[in-house]
Amino acid sequence: MDKDFAARRRRDLIIAAALATIAALTPLFVKDVVVQNILILTLMYAGLSQSWNILSGYCGQISLGHALYFGLGAYTTELLFTKFGVLPWFGMLAGGVVSALIAMGLGYPFFRLRGHYFVIATIVIAEIGLLLFHNWEWAGAAMGITIPIRGDSWLKFQFLRTKLPYFYFALALCCLAWFVTWWLENSKWGFWWRAVKDNPEAAESLGVDVFNSKMGAAAVSAFLVAVGGSFYAQFVSYIDPESVMGFQFSLLMALPAVLGGIGTLWGPVLGAAILIPLTELTRFKFGGSGRGVDLIVYGTLIVLISLALPRGLLSLFSRPKKTGAAR
Amino acid sequence: MSALLETRGVWQRFGGLVANSDVSISVGRGEIVGLIGPNGAGKSTLFNLIAGVLPPTQGSIWFDGEDVTRMPAAMRCRRGIGRTFQVVKSFETMTVIDNVIVGALVRTTVMREARRKAHEVLEFTGLAARADVLASDLVPAEKRRLEVARALATEPKLLLLDEVLTGLTPTEAQTGVALVRKVRDAGITVLMVEHVMEIVMPLVDRAIVLDLGKVLVEGKPADVVRDPKVIKAYLGDRHAVGA
Amino acid sequence: MGLLYGLIAVGLALIFGLMDVTNFAHGEFLMVAMYLSFFLFAFFAIDPLLSAPLVAAALFIFGAVVYLLLVRFAMRAKANAGMVQIFTTFGLAIVMRGLAQYFFTPDYRSIPQSWLGGKTISVGGIFLPEPQLVGALVSIAAFAGLYFFIHRTDFGRAIEATREDPGAVALVGIDKNRVFAFGWGLGAALVGLAGAIMAVFFYIYPDVGASFALIAYVTVALGGFGSVFGAFAGGIIVGLVEAVTALVLPPSLKSVGIYSVYLLVVFIRPRGLFGSM
Repeated sequence: MDKDFAARRRRDLIIAAALATIAALTPLFVKDVVVQNILILTLMYAGLSQSWNILSGYCGQISLGHALYFGLGAYTTELLFTKFGVLPWFGMLAGGVVSALIAMGLGYPFFRLRGHYFVIATIVIAEIGLLLFHNWEWAGAAMGITIPIRGDSWLKFQFLRTKLPYFYFALALCCLAWFVTWWLENSKWGFWWRAVKDNPEAAESLGVDVFNSKMGAAAVSAFLVAVGGSFYAQFVSYIDPESVMGFQFSLLMALPAVLGGIGTLWGPVLGAAILIPLTELTRFKFGGSGRGVDLIVYGTLIVLISLALPRGLLSLFSRPKKTGAAR
Repeated sequence: MSALLETRGVWQRFGGLVANSDVSISVGRGEIVGLIGPNGAGKSTLFNLIAGVLPPTQGSIWFDGEDVTRMPAAMRCRRGIGRTFQVVKSFETMTVIDNVIVGALVRTTVMREARRKAHEVLEFTGLAARADVLASDLVPAEKRRLEVARALATEPKLLLLDEVLTGLTPTEAQTGVALVRKVRDAGITVLMVEHVMEIVMPLVDRAIVLDLGKVLVEGKPADVVRDPKVIKAYLGDRHAVGA
Repeated sequence: MGLLYGLIAVGLALIFGLMDVTNFAHGEFLMVAMYLSFFLFAFFAIDPLLSAPLVAAALFIFGAVVYLLLVRFAMRAKANAGMVQIFTTFGLAIVMRGLAQYFFTPDYRSIPQSWLGGKTISVGGIFLPEPQLVGALVSIAAFAGLYFFIHRTDFGRAIEATREDPGAVALVGIDKNRVFAFGWGLGAALVGLAGAIMAVFFYIYPDVGASFALIAYVTVALGGFGSVFGAFAGGIIVGLVEAVTALVLPPSLKSVGIYSVYLLVVFIRPRGLFGSM
């Protein structure tokens, strides 16, 4: 039995490495900028959703306010860059740390809340953050920040002529988030998180530090999401409150994990691989008309999948395993 | 040798309701002690006070020579108090082995070690064949055993069992009784709450009867069942008559 | 304004309290009601005040249908029940917004002239805008009606009973689905009433629901989920807080006050002001 377990973990790692290699090679064949764009976004959201999944999927603390950390990452990086000339790479780290600290600070009062109260509190706090940034003159208020263009440079993580560096960074982010999840899944933290999700009281009785488990999950999750936010800011080179802290980001982080399979290792990747291209394509095809067809398609899909496959798309694949057939 | 567990003049009030009044009990090392009494006697409250779900209004609780009165449940577990729940609280989305690993992780952070320990405990509790099944797919009797297994994985000195034998078929109950004996033989002290006397009396070394929040009688099971005060308390409780 | 928030929220509270389901499409129900009211005015020249009962009735049917077609199945989910409900209603919200954009275009619309629009009335020297005043009166009436309905009629009691113990109710011969569908209908009708009144003094556009939905959740949570009276009180608090913040902070920050109060309240009382423990 132990051998099965170790084999399964190894298999996951091998599949991930194979997928990453294939992904890394795609730009050789895909030269279309629009498609590359979609690939970058897909990888980014896969990484973000994977990070969201740590707190909400594994630890069971459903957050619909992760846009806050995304935005904080973006703003920290760009404010440091435009106001103090700090390189984005350091800004990225700083954004991650700031977000993780804020997540833990918020955790103190938030983690006492249960169920719907917690969910609404996360929406509300992100909304407060959005409004504050809207009114913060120094940070550009509603006008936002335009990242000054200094030419292509790895140092400043800025590229005008090619999207490839962004592509590889998004891939790296996605791999990092996946690997962190993979690693934590079979650690004390991973077990504690799932125990806390399933039954906090029982977890407590088994020596699990429930509160600190949630804090740990929040910190890791917020850090990774903030790094994603920093990346996004560099990628689009213009940020304003709505475009990095809007509610849609919270939603787009949660959806891939939910559709793919919440609280699973592969769910977010699978969900993002399907959802993000679909979102972009519907927007590309119908969005221009401004008549909401993209929303209709998108919403219908969400309703259908959540009704038909409550455990996510991944449950389609995992069925055979139950009967013992090792594939 | 001093007692492993001791409660000293413990009171618990909920608003105007007094659930425990001046309860002083002690459990010696290696004993199986039964905590019994009719419905509403305050057994569960006392149990929760010892497990650390809430602190008593008044009085103190000592475990292994240390005052644990205000210690949170998770810390008590680390000190060596394991417990089960009256209403089973398995980690439903996790497999049986993973449930037990959570317990084992109190003593080690090395996953390989925790996994080994968990397998050992499953072997001990007779759940080894079900290791890879989801906890939600277990039958009720197995879920109870999983609770015991999980608690045992924390390597407790004292195991608190909350009505683990209630509601089982006679065969299942026999298996349960055998498991409790096995646990004691492994050197673990057991304090078990049961509502129905018949199940526990043959098993325990000593019985403590609670009634109306107070200790009514304490002693050898054979003496306790014959005590007129106990009979009266139980006869007054209609639910227990038929049992 | 607070009373209208209360009216929006009470529908949500009813649905939540009845079956522990949060309707994330609640704001979109409101949007539909406002459009209905608008078109009744635009095509048939029926004043929103008169069409309000019509709109409420239409929303009642709509709510019941949504329950029967979607929510009923979402509630059956065995795994991740909470997530399924959230995302089913959320998906519905997105579809409704998309449909609204498709059919009604994203343009802002308003009802130019109605009996009440833009008029003010002087009460003891204080000028109050008439629509808001009527809104407040209608809200109070609706609350009184709802209270009476739940506590005094057989069907209201059936709702209460179903909420306490769906299993036992089935034994008595009450069809759970009928009660729930009715509950959804009633919740939608209340928000329909609110929408009809608000159509008079708010711009109408496909995303209008979103701005009120969050406030509605906050209102419900303030009062404690599932408490009808709580939603009423929560609405008044939200209205007051909004008015006060508007005096102190720039208008764009007025919601911050409401949100902060929510956070403050749930931190002190994690189950809302009037929530049962």
